[in-house]
Amino acid sequence: MHGKKADKKRGEREKRDERAVFPDHVLKALNEAGLNTDGLLSGCQGDMDNQACFCDAWVCFDKEGLYIAFGEEKVKKSKSRRRGLESEARVDRIESIPVGDIEKLELEQYVSTGRLIMIQAGEQVSVTRFSIGLAGDFDNLVNSFNSFKETGEASKTERRDDGENKCKKCGAPCPHGQQYCRKHNKSSSTFLRLLKLFGNHRWQIGVIILFMFVEAAISVIVPQLSTRTLYDKVLTNPDSLPYEQLLKALGTLVLSIVGIKVLRVLFQATENWITGSIMPRIMYNLKTKIFNAMQRLSLSFYSSKQTGSLMDRILRDATNIYNFFVDGMPRVIISVATAIGVLIIMFKMSWRLSLVALIAIPVLIATLVMGDRLFRNMHHRVWRYSARVSSITSDNINGQRVIKAFAREDREYDKFSIASDDLRKAELRLSLSEATLYPALEVLIFMLSTVVLGAGGVMVAKGQMTVGTLLSYIVYLEMLKEPFGFLAWVSNWWSRCADSAQRVFEVCDAEPDIIEKENAVSLENMRGDVELRELDFEYEPARPVIHKMNLQVKAGDMLGIVGKTGAGKTTIANLISRLYDAKEGSVLIDGIDVRDIRLADIRKNVGMVSQDIYLFIGSVADNIRYAKPDASMDEVIAAAKAASAHDFIMKLPDAYETRVGSGGQRLSGGERQRISIARTIIQNPKILILDEATAAMDTETERRIQHSLTQLKAGRTTIAIAHRLSTLRDSDYLAVIDGGKLTEYGTYQELLRQKGEFYRQYKIQSEALSTIGIIDFDAGTPVDDEDEKEEKSEGKGEE
Amino acid sequence: MAENSIIAQNISPDTLSTQYVKPESCVFAQNKNGFLTATIDGKEYKRVILTRTLPLNFPDDYICISDIEKNELGIIEHKSDFPKEQQELIDIELMQRYYCPVITKIVSVKDKMGNFYFDVLIGEFKKSFTVKDISRSIRQMGKSVYITDIDGNRFKIENYEKIPSKSRRRIEPYLY
Repeated sequence: MHGKKADKKRGEREKRDERAVFPDHVLKALNEAGLNTDGLLSGCQGDMDNQACFCDAWVCFDKEGLYIAFGEEKVKKSKSRRRGLESEARVDRIESIPVGDIEKLELEQYVSTGRLIMIQAGEQVSVTRFSIGLAGDFDNLVNSFNSFKETGEASKTERRDDGENKCKKCGAPCPHGQQYCRKHNKSSSTFLRLLKLFGNHRWQIGVIILFMFVEAAISVIVPQLSTRTLYDKVLTNPDSLPYEQLLKALGTLVLSIVGIKVLRVLFQATENWITGSIMPRIMYNLKTKIFNAMQRLSLSFYSSKQTGSLMDRILRDATNIYNFFVDGMPRVIISVATAIGVLIIMFKMSWRLSLVALIAIPVLIATLVMGDRLFRNMHHRVWRYSARVSSITSDNINGQRVIKAFAREDREYDKFSIASDDLRKAELRLSLSEATLYPALEVLIFMLSTVVLGAGGVMVAKGQMTVGTLLSYIVYLEMLKEPFGFLAWVSNWWSRCADSAQRVFEVCDAEPDIIEKENAVSLENMRGDVELRELDFEYEPARPVIHKMNLQVKAGDMLGIVGKTGAGKTTIANLISRLYDAKEGSVLIDGIDVRDIRLADIRKNVGMVSQDIYLFIGSVADNIRYAKPDASMDEVIAAAKAASAHDFIMKLPDAYETRVGSGGQRLSGGERQRISIARTIIQNPKILILDEATAAMDTETERRIQHSLTQLKAGRTTIAIAHRLSTLRDSDYLAVIDGGKLTEYGTYQELLRQKGEFYRQYKIQSEALSTIGIIDFDAGTPVDDEDEKEEKSEGKGEE
Repeated sequence: MAENSIIAQNISPDTLSTQYVKPESCVFAQNKNGFLTATIDGKEYKRVILTRTLPLNFPDDYICISDIEKNELGIIEHKSDFPKEQQELIDIELMQRYYCPVITKIVSVKDKMGNFYFDVLIGEFKKSFTVKDISRSIRQMGKSVYITDIDGNRFKIENYEKIPSKSRRRIEPYLY
């Protein structure tokens, strides 16, 4: 019974939610403010008013009017124990505009904000503003409203899920794309996260720490024997002991000291041996962890970082972490253990003198805290300048051709010199701070030991302490100097390590944009049908690159994509290969959304020859068989021949074994491109994407490759992107893209007949060729047969 | 033929030369709905859009004027050449387009697993925002620092050296 009731209630709630434009608490507030929310057709939440002041705003409309409510939404503690927190909204004022007064709504997007505009009597009137991240929501509202004005029905907009921007634990608002609020986001200190890196070696580390404690204990025992026992038990009354007994006591003492020292050395050697055997493995794990994390990340991560900065993370930052844990941490443990042991013994020997020594502890803690803050920023500054120097160096090496062509060597030198000088200054400042702080601390500790020595002397004179005790006390005090000094200085070391760790974790924590679904479909042998359905894509929030694009390519067909620079052609290629994911809509291969297909299958079946050619360090053959490492030499040669690369490869000094890539044989742009085509051919993909693949080649080579590719077309879908229209003559269909939208679609001849953008581009290219005497524009154009004649006569007619 | 050709039409001398707009030939005004209008060389434009050519380093120079269709009408070389009331109109339009609240104090920056939670003061108002991919989202240009949060909002520290030293210390580890 209870279950039925609950189901009924849930059903009612779901029904209500489906209809509701806003969450319940917002609807309640809007109702209380006098707005009837029953008939609302669509709405979205904004975050600014018309003057761009931050506040919560709800924009919605019904059949009668457009309403803009301003107020505040917050989370408060719920009275109910079970629910924890609940959302609450307050509406301060509502503006309403009759729907009849609005012709349509428009959206304007600026650098970081957007504006909702209504057209009233042919004039633009600002309605409200919003953060650019909400542009998608407002875009939906605008479409919905305009559709209502045109057809009388509001297009359905997906309401923001009530739980989408709420913390999963407490329900507090959290930023877009986040599952937990600031308070409940997984948190772990840098130190603990670093310790986890050593988790696989916990036994060895346990042994090392144990040995360190033993070493510390031995260090603490030695002065007891060597100083106190020698003075108080042996040397204080040498006359009272027979000579043999004195010798025996001295011998035992010396042997004990030697034995303890030997034992300590043995422990130390074993500890060093274990450390030496596990640390390279930990370093290897750390570097491969960062490298692996970087490999997982999507292309967008790399496009936003400088090469120098990324390389510094693998090399310098990993080394900083390693150095701290290999050299720093053992000394920290020994220092802490020694300091505690020594202090205990000192207290046992004389608590009065020890209280004086304890004055140093607050000073030490203060130094540790201050040093951490001060040096962390300083180390970061050094790293920043160092990364800049690395980036300038890598930029300079990669751009040497351009630098030489424009004779800008001196300027490049100046740029490097300024960056290096900034680094020098930052390092100098750090060194000077270190050089000032630590000697000051040393002086403090020295003064303290002098005071203790004086006070101890008085106590000996008064007979409150023996000479041996005082002398061994001073030895212990001296022993405190090193751990105290080190602990004060280690904050600097830790700061460097923590600063590096922050950057390493930035890489490790970064989430790849492209993630394979858990139940991804295996599609090992694709047919090759490709479809773009209502595809929307943007690289940056609210800056659409592809907008509502629909396109279909049948398996085995060749589609040519034409468009101006920046029209979105390469983006389409990237989306089909799933290098990026669509914002809205989908890319379908064989009718399945690419996001539902196993990534390995997409990579295997979709091959791309991009306009950015990269050859890895290695032989020509290695580069060709990059996508298929087990390819036989026959396959490599066949692929090279198909890509018209075999002839030039055979002319290289070591033919297929010629070393290419950075530091290898110099190849022309066309030669590199041909190797990259061969690399894709050997992959034997079902869907071949040629993104300006032949742009860097002369016409003859291009023709040859075209011929080879035509043969390869059989049984595979080809999507060719080109500026040179002649490249696309063999296409079954052509798509013209402009501003991220499909503007023309048809066969080569159909598009020429349409006399649209394609015809215009064709005419420009033909005209350019006729200008330099390659084609007589008036006499002949590559339009076929009847169309050719038709086009020519039309062309003449126009002129 | 060359004169009528598409190439010749596209690359006319006008498209290659920069048309600077002089204060004497250009008057801005605001219509009743708050949008900027202009009369340039006697021709009225119902709505014009201003775009900074060098928004970070020279926000008040080389300001491009275009019509609603985004056709360039000319460039203001120096805003300061214009009369004061005209400058105010330009400022209002630019402020709307390049809205970027100025951070006066950084109260705290908390790093939690790759999310950086900022609590700042914008004038007297408190504002919290989250930044991800910190090396991309925080950009230092000279003495100014620009922060873009995960919603695409931009915030600016006008002069990094003039904010309180505690604020400076809080942001410094995140400058790349």
